[in-house]
Amino acid sequence: MAEPNSPGVAFVAHCLLNQNSKTDGGARCPGIYSPLVDLLRERGWRIEQMPCPEHAFLGMHRFWLVKDQADTLAFRRHCRRQAKVVAGAIAVHVGRGTDVVVIGVEGSPSMGVRITSSSADWGGRPDKGDDDYPLVPGRGIFSEELVAELAERGLGDVRASGIEHQLPTYDEAAEREQISALLEHSDGR
Amino acid sequence: MEGDERGFRIAVCADALVNPEPGGLDALAVCARAGFGVMQLPATWYPEEVAAGWLEQVAEQLDEYLRHGYAVVLVTRAGDEAGVRQRAAFAAALGAIGHGLPPEHESSGDADALESFLRAQPVPGAAA
Repeated sequence: MAEPNSPGVAFVAHCLLNQNSKTDGGARCPGIYSPLVDLLRERGWRIEQMPCPEHAFLGMHRFWLVKDQADTLAFRRHCRRQAKVVAGAIAVHVGRGTDVVVIGVEGSPSMGVRITSSSADWGGRPDKGDDDYPLVPGRGIFSEELVAELAERGLGDVRASGIEHQLPTYDEAAEREQISALLEHSDGR
Repeated sequence: MEGDERGFRIAVCADALVNPEPGGLDALAVCARAGFGVMQLPATWYPEEVAAGWLEQVAEQLDEYLRHGYAVVLVTRAGDEAGVRQRAAFAAALGAIGHGLPPEHESSGDADALESFLRAQPVPGAAA
């Protein structure tokens, strides 16, 4: 029933198994982002899919947005509600002594782990293109709420990293190396 | 939607098919081949408070897809008693927001049968 021979459990951003949750123009493939799934399968890791906060709150026809545009009390409450479910599932695995990692999406306003997006200029007429997507160091809103929820449960040491396929510097081989390091405990937290 | 890679097709999959036992059916591989995204159901052994919240959130996201003409199917594992109970809970979560269960494939572990089921789904309205 559980993960008898699995070295760990990876909680992955929703869109990595379901690219339909992306905004129009944001998907890399019809459904499943296979590079990550293939790596987790090779390593024998269990996969758990987190919800998509933006799709659930803003819907299919949302425009691209930066963190500042979504950073409202209501959206944070929505993310915290989702994060409580994820943290509850993580707690089950940690309680069994299973290794757990979180894999988000770098650059995302909600799922970024090390890189998110921010600009005070985004708003009003939707005329911003992908050439000037303003990436900045930091976590997305859901990631912040998940970290806070895990900390409240005494689970503050769950390792995390992010897929980088929406960054201009994307390098699939480098990404594979980075995620491999995360799974092997050799990455920073 | 020029340049849009989305497939507009979603398979809601039992955890046992997302995380198969050795030699079991890998639903992610089949769904990837058929151009379907996956929404994972919670493990049937999760505590009620985790499973209920998870199912509610899957139902909420599905509502958006169903209202916008996406193809949505349910893929479960045949002979799974806990899965049958979860199916009822999922039906209740969908029913609470006005939806029924989507077309279902009960998998006995045959990858070709699952792929045939997925490929037989009508072209989703959202893809038009």
